[in-house]
Amino acid sequence: MNEFVIRTHNLTKKYHDRAAVNSLNLSIGRGEIYGFLGPNGAGKTTTIRMLLGLIRPTSGKVEIFGKDLQKDRLNILKKVGSLVEYPSYYGHLSAVENLEAIRRILNLPKSRIAEVLDIVSLTKEARRSVKGYSLGMKQRLGIASALLGSPELLILDEPTNGLDPSGIQEIRELIKRMPKEHGITVLVSSHLLSEVELMAGSVGIIAQGRMVFQDTIEHLQHQASSTIEMTVSEPEAAVWIARDSGLTGQLQEGRIHFDGLSNTQVAGLVRRLVENKHDIYRVEEKRKSLEDIFMQIVGTGGSL
Amino acid sequence: MKAFFRVLSAERLKMSKSYLWLIVLASPVLAALIGMLVSSELAEWPLLLGGMSLFHAMLFLPVMTGLFSSFICRYEHTGGGWKSLLALPVSRTAVYLAKFTVVICLLALTQILLLGAILITGRIIHISSPIPWHMLLQSILGGWVACLPLAALQMFASLRWASFAAPLVVNVIFTIPNILITNSATYGPYYPWAQPFLAMMPKGMNGYDFGAFNLPFESLMITVLGGFVLFFASGLVYFNRKEV
Ligand SMILES: Nc1ncnc2c1ncn2[C@@H]1O[C@H](COP(=O)(O)OP(=O)(O)OP(=O)(O)O)[C@@H](O)[C@H]1O
Ligand SMILES: [Mg+2]
Repeated sequence: MNEFVIRTHNLTKKYHDRAAVNSLNLSIGRGEIYGFLGPNGAGKTTTIRMLLGLIRPTSGKVEIFGKDLQKDRLNILKKVGSLVEYPSYYGHLSAVENLEAIRRILNLPKSRIAEVLDIVSLTKEARRSVKGYSLGMKQRLGIASALLGSPELLILDEPTNGLDPSGIQEIRELIKRMPKEHGITVLVSSHLLSEVELMAGSVGIIAQGRMVFQDTIEHLQHQASSTIEMTVSEPEAAVWIARDSGLTGQLQEGRIHFDGLSNTQVAGLVRRLVENKHDIYRVEEKRKSLEDIFMQIVGTGGSL
Repeated sequence: MKAFFRVLSAERLKMSKSYLWLIVLASPVLAALIGMLVSSELAEWPLLLGGMSLFHAMLFLPVMTGLFSSFICRYEHTGGGWKSLLALPVSRTAVYLAKFTVVICLLALTQILLLGAILITGRIIHISSPIPWHMLLQSILGGWVACLPLAALQMFASLRWASFAAPLVVNVIFTIPNILITNSATYGPYYPWAQPFLAMMPKGMNGYDFGAFNLPFESLMITVLGGFVLFFASGLVYFNRKEV
């Protein structure tokens, strides 16, 4: 598993002295679905454009399949399928003709077109001109184009942008099948954690051009600070007792909240409260939702 | 080289479903109409050539050159097409060459159609003298070659500006003063919009012996090729460095 498909080394892109991407170290393992997250303007698209060689980094290096992108661009791109920002298509042509144009460039057998149309379930609509397609269908055509060359790596920039929930669901299911059925590594960017948490194994979170978190989703959940919430018979008195043992709790709607208590601290506090004849109705652990964590990381711009 | 032919074949597919062929047809058809209408005054081959290719060479050909260049870049400018095209495993040079090739092939097609129109009109209005092949071919071929610098320049502009209309408007604005500029023997030969006009008009006939028309065909071609190399190379370098 520790074979990297993408690695960047201090990748930086500056526009007029302002870094849109700043010393980014991305690493994505083979067969992974990697969620690349960040708010608007964080630098996701800029990073992806550098990964595809569409723009030149100001400094730093991109390695894909263990090869230097700058030196081996065309060989690398043979094994990469991509969809950047919005699906591009020739509106006056049908889906089949759109794919045919790409097929000619990639020099593939004609049968590939039917195969990818089938993967994205566009076979029935394939002969209509693309102008009349819904956004979801265009997005699926974009993914079909990306899949045409049987890539080993799929780079999708906000593939669910502008789709309704069922469209999002559809694309998500499609992406989830990629590693399993086709052995493809996927990089998918989004500005919503909720969109990728159900499919991605790893996430990289970028804010203001810097990577602020990069690890598995489980680790992300794990790193979330939790709150202990207590419901007791005499909350005001209980807060004083807690303060006595060096713990600061906030009283909210008759419940006491404590941040980041260890198991021993919880046990000690409960014991003291019981000794002081308090009734303890509930001790609950409240974990922040992933979205809260994401907002927290992105908001502070610093790492957890 | 293989990459070039593969991109060319894709470009051909993209253009095949557009109505560009109507434009290719328009100018030769118009020229034929002019030829028939004023047939009494164009009863000799050089006169017919001059009369039929006047508007074509002075106006339509430069305008078409700009139009084809804009058209060939149009689909990529809308909806992030450059990103998907250039993320494919083909060199930018191959893409540039393929697109330029489509433009100059369309221009060649117009020229061939114009030649056909001249020959047919000549037959219809019963010009009895033998067909002056050398003169006709020099005009048709020379006109095409004289479009190359402008095609390269317009290609550059169309790659540079995402707008479809802007390079076209600029092109028309620069085409209009053609008739004035050809009066100047000093500047005329260097003006890319006037070069097709200078190259196509038959020499010494019909009053085309003023200003820049006095320049020998060979000297004009040398100027044209020099300009072509300059604009073509600049466009190619620009495209290879372009941030997409
Ligand atoms: N060509 C450019 N010139 C100047 N600044 C640019 C250019 N391209 C991008 N930027 C800046 O770089 C930053 C990152 O932009 P980028 O498009 O990569 O963000 P993003 O994460 O993809 O955002 P979004 O979610 O909105 O797509 C932005 O502040 C943007 O203004
Ligand atoms: Mg973006």
